[in-house]
Amino acid sequence: MSSSTLMKTFAKTDIVDTLIIGSGAGGAPLAAELARNGKTVVVLEAGPAFPATGHTPDEIAARELYWLHERLSAGTNPQAFGGNNSGTGLGGSLLHYGAFMPRMDARDFHLHTETGKGVDWPFGLDELLPYIERVESFIGVSGPAHYPWDPERRYAYAPPPANSAALKMREGCDALGLRHADGPAALITRDIEQPHFGTRHACANCGACHQGCRNGAKSGTDNTWLPMAVAYGAELRPGCFAHTIERDSSGRVTGVVYRQNGVEHRQKCATLVLAAGAVETPRLLLTNGLANSSGQVGQNYMTHVSTQVWGEFDEDIRPNRGYPSLTITEDMMRPKDADFVGGYLVQSLGMMPATWGQNLARSTTTRGPAFARALAGYNRSAGMGINGECLPRPENRVTLSDEKDAFGIPKPLIEHSYGPNEWAMHHHAARLMTQMWETVGAKDIRVIDRAAHMIGTCRMGADAGSNVVNPVGRSFDIDNLWVSDHSIFPSAAAANPALAIMALSLRTAEAMLRT
Amino acid sequence: MSHPPDRPEILDSDHLSTRTREILTSRLSVSTAQPRTLSLRAYAALDALLPVLLPLDEILPPATDIAMTARIDAALSGPRDGWRFADLPPDAEAWESALLTLDDVAAEQHGLAFIHLAPDLRGALLDAVMEGQIGLEREGRLTASQMKRWSGDLRGEVVDCIMSDPRIQQALGISSSLTGGDTVFQGFTKVGSDSREDFEPKATAPLLQMAESSE
Ligand SMILES: Cc1cc2nc3c(=O)[nH]c(=O)nc-3n(C[C@H](O)[C@H](O)[C@H](O)COP(=O)(O)OP(=O)(O)OC[C@H]3O[C@@H](n4cnc5c(N)ncnc54)[C@H](O)[C@@H]3O)c2cc1C
Ligand code: SF4
Repeated sequence: MSSSTLMKTFAKTDIVDTLIIGSGAGGAPLAAELARNGKTVVVLEAGPAFPATGHTPDEIAARELYWLHERLSAGTNPQAFGGNNSGTGLGGSLLHYGAFMPRMDARDFHLHTETGKGVDWPFGLDELLPYIERVESFIGVSGPAHYPWDPERRYAYAPPPANSAALKMREGCDALGLRHADGPAALITRDIEQPHFGTRHACANCGACHQGCRNGAKSGTDNTWLPMAVAYGAELRPGCFAHTIERDSSGRVTGVVYRQNGVEHRQKCATLVLAAGAVETPRLLLTNGLANSSGQVGQNYMTHVSTQVWGEFDEDIRPNRGYPSLTITEDMMRPKDADFVGGYLVQSLGMMPATWGQNLARSTTTRGPAFARALAGYNRSAGMGINGECLPRPENRVTLSDEKDAFGIPKPLIEHSYGPNEWAMHHHAARLMTQMWETVGAKDIRVIDRAAHMIGTCRMGADAGSNVVNPVGRSFDIDNLWVSDHSIFPSAAAANPALAIMALSLRTAEAMLRT
Repeated sequence: MSHPPDRPEILDSDHLSTRTREILTSRLSVSTAQPRTLSLRAYAALDALLPVLLPLDEILPPATDIAMTARIDAALSGPRDGWRFADLPPDAEAWESALLTLDDVAAEQHGLAFIHLAPDLRGALLDAVMEGQIGLEREGRLTASQMKRWSGDLRGEVVDCIMSDPRIQQALGISSSLTGGDTVFQGFTKVGSDSREDFEPKATAPLLQMAESSE
């Protein structure tokens, strides 16, 4: 971040107005908004500050962007973490996210009212839309001139060029009579001067979004909200792992103890915001025994059904080239023949070779020359994947395991099993995408059953008995404790989450400014 | 001993950043002198297992050795990917136990150490592991269901090792490392099908020769 050299710093004895744990999608917009309104803000981030120019497309080395404190994964669909969904560093998981930026469907806010299943949000799309539009315009999102499922919508940047997978998916949609479009992507397609940051260059179609964008084209928090926060006087502290939340005799938060370079520090604060993500936020609350009068901390853990279907073509596809996931169809948001509630988005997929190979390796048991030939098919492969609703289930949750990590804190145990709704959606999507690939001549079609993202665990809602935070993200139990990250989602909703997390973060900041 | 690096052309491309070049180059010379993580017995079993899981003779030029066993053994002591199955012990321990389980089962079923089995018997044992049919219920060994879980980790680790190797990338014609140089970040100008740019490698792997000639 170019402006960090000018960054203001606070003494640990200062009582800062707001201390934020986590600098990703949930923490950063709020940091910027509070600082802009004159609040003193410190952000503790466990990961380092990565210079964008140092990112590497090498998938093994790029693991430096993953949250590497070990998690234990259980249940009948144990989830992969690391590269699948957990980042670290100034910028959080957005350093290596895919930048797919659809808006939440209005119906997904009211799933329970619509279907009797799942949970309603305490408000609708109309409430969140102004914040969504502010996020889109500030960070930079590209999209088509005409979005078939929302004709009113406008994007400030033209889409990047369609890669082979995106073109193939268009053909598949056409063959089956599905509408398709260039999907909204959080990247810019012309050079700009980003306020408080500096020059961001147009997307170079390098394809390595998941390994970190080297030219600032991808809109994360590292090149948008965080430099803005710093410009308004916030202090960002990378390399600081927060572990203990301190309180006074009345139970209000007074500060946080964190470890930096092996040394313990304490930062005092008037208000604390947890933005550590949907595994680390409940882990912090559980290890500190806080804010859990509802018994819901760590419960309602959800993911997105993220089934993929890959095929091999006769052409030279080169799936590493171009923005990875451009084509979208929203026609499956409420399919007529659905045997499940909710819906899913279908997106085209390019992919880097090791990630692609991992999927192949883990979803088959071929070996010998057949395995070698399958891996050699990389350059001829194109994929499609979905992002779909996942219902909360009592057996899916984050708890503390018996094992301790290097800091002496229990490692989190994440239990995740699909229920009938998720399996029905998976099978529906697998059939549809297989048919699409078959129609356009793909061979060796392979279905990969996988889930992505970490959602829920500190649910927001109106009722203190069944939710952890109120509808603006404030703890029911401790009035100077707030949560702003993916953990507050009452339901998963189909859309890729970062846009809604950032929009909610701005909304929570406004609520904090009012109190 | 380490093997003389066969320097793939992609390493000299100006579409490679200095950092990425260094990372890829470091994979060309790996010390195979001493196992870093596994015991000698487990290491030997892994060394005998890899060729039946993923033979590379149809991908790489004859006699190219990319030291897969040594690299996987070293990787097990390096930074991991941040999670593991709750029903498996920590990675290094899981690999040691899994490989010793395989070796014990080989001895029980065939009266020979795993490394002395003919390739088809090694392959059959691996198939049985992947199907969840082989395991041992005793301390320091893995049960059949744990072995099956571990076989997914084994397959994943092998793929990470292969697909991140510059010799393999060159042989398969993969341009994923060539996202851009230090001063000019070129990216890709062409991203559609059948539009290889001049700086991107052409596949040289014997098993891809047929396909390439029709390009
Ligand atoms: C590979 C990948 C692809 C994705 N693709 C997309 C996509 O295309 N579109 C989309 O919308 N979403 C995508 N996502 C999801 C999106 O990135 C996340 O949903 C979002 O970033 C979550 O925001 P968050 O604020 O909850 O957590 P994060 O953004 O993960 O931020 C949490 C931060 O808190 C820090 N932290 C945690 N614990 C502590 C502690 N104890 N002390 C100090 N700091 C701590 C972490 O280091 C991290 O930086 C993707 C994610 C991944 C990993
Ligand atoms: S494809 Fe574009 S947005 Fe993605 S990393 Fe490359 S330059 Fe950045």
